[in-house]
Amino acid sequence: MTVEVAPPLAATSEETVEVRPRMTLVARSTADEEVREAKVVFEVQDFSAYYGTFRALRGINLQIREHQVTAIIGPSGCGKSTLLRSFNRMNDLVATAHFEGQVLYHGVDLYAPGVDPVEVRRRIGMVFQKPNPFPKSIYDNVAFGPRVAGFRGSLDELVEASLRRAALWDEVKDKLRTPGTALSGGQQQRLCIARAIAVEPDVILMDEPCSSLDPVATLRIEELMHELKENYSIVIVTHNMQQAARASDVTAFLTMGDDRAGYLVEMAPTQELFTRPGNRLTEDYITGRFG
Amino acid sequence: MSTVDDQPTDPGTPVEGHGHIVRRGFEDALTATKEDVLRLGSLVENALERAGRALAERDVDLADAVRWDDANVNELQRGINTGITRIIATQGPVARDVRELLALYHAAAELERMGDYAVSIAKLAQQLAAEPETPLLHQIPEMERLCRSQLRAAMRSLVDVSEAEARAVCEGDDELDHLYNAAYEDAVALMEAAPQHARQATHMLFVAHHLERLGDRVTNIGEDVVFLVTGQIEDLNP
Repeated sequence: MTVEVAPPLAATSEETVEVRPRMTLVARSTADEEVREAKVVFEVQDFSAYYGTFRALRGINLQIREHQVTAIIGPSGCGKSTLLRSFNRMNDLVATAHFEGQVLYHGVDLYAPGVDPVEVRRRIGMVFQKPNPFPKSIYDNVAFGPRVAGFRGSLDELVEASLRRAALWDEVKDKLRTPGTALSGGQQQRLCIARAIAVEPDVILMDEPCSSLDPVATLRIEELMHELKENYSIVIVTHNMQQAARASDVTAFLTMGDDRAGYLVEMAPTQELFTRPGNRLTEDYITGRFG
Repeated sequence: MSTVDDQPTDPGTPVEGHGHIVRRGFEDALTATKEDVLRLGSLVENALERAGRALAERDVDLADAVRWDDANVNELQRGINTGITRIIATQGPVARDVRELLALYHAAAELERMGDYAVSIAKLAQQLAAEPETPLLHQIPEMERLCRSQLRAAMRSLVDVSEAEARAVCEGDDELDHLYNAAYEDAVALMEAAPQHARQATHMLFVAHHLERLGDRVTNIGEDVVFLVTGQIEDLNP
């Protein structure tokens, strides 16, 4: 049986599938915008650092913003720690260290004559790779800085508030007079954070703060960083890229040139840098293809 | 079937040389995944070709084979998903690596769905074969061929990681849309001219619709390739 089929229609009177112009949906989250627009704490301008004749950092330009965790990543020897230490003049303690360029802290040149490095370090605290509590009680570790600075309020309240902010209070409140060195590694590191907080800083610098800690203690510190950024700006140097990806808002990638001087390759909101980095060197490093 | 599950589980010791590191375990697992996705593409293309032939030749046995063989498509897709999940869990991929794995994961899901369309067409072929014979709408074989050529081009763009090829695939979908519109008009005209063939016309319209949808899935793979290359999500088939 055959049926006559309507002849193919050369042009249909009305197209049921509309052909519309193609469009691009570039996903840029509001989080990224916030990261880009927060108030600037540090403005680093054409900054180069030398140890004697060796140039450790070359022409760094970047901004660190308020209430964010900024991670600095890069291969060993690229000058990450040198950069971090330049934020609170810790490099002053190295006799051969000298610098070019500027590090502005809320618009003030940190290296200008007349700037007191002790005051700089009070406002810009530091936590080191290895927990380094003083050989004193937990209480005295936290109270040490405020006492030296002539703190006149209630030390008990300050110690408690600092330990609470460092998420350590509940674990140590019944043993404040025991030595800080008796705590576990992760607790010691949080004690060091409490000690840094006690002098009411504005910025906390962390140099590989979790490298000597187990994964659980590491996650606690990362969680703590997340809480602390409500009140402080945090800059962290880390070898652990997953940590930078997990815990930071902004990531700066440094590498070194043929002269072994470190330079900034790329700085971007962390979620952007780890999903679509703008530079091939960054891509190779974070994907583990260059080291 | 070889999926990435068959690959060595060693995440790979970095091999250093001149500053560049080859992540052998990761690269091997990624390559194996890509090969499996290509194999999945060729299974689906084959299913589509046989479904189209079953329809044209009223071959119910061939249609049956298409239906049975879909289990292979599903099994391979599951293997790919498992493998990609394992790579993500163990290798911590970022940047282009994670984009590539996500693109492959999504492409595999789209291919599995295309396999389902081929099965639906095979079922319609069986239903049509049970009805008095009606000439096929001429757009259907044309759409079926175009779908396969689009699918091949999309898989090639995935292998070549070629943004230009992927965009061309998405452009090519317009032709399928036009053919579908024409098939729709012809099916309606057939129903009006010969209401006793309304069932056949409806079956054929469904076939055309499945092919049109299958074409959309192909463009999704094109979008995956663009995402893989640029990191940007684009709607290339609005």
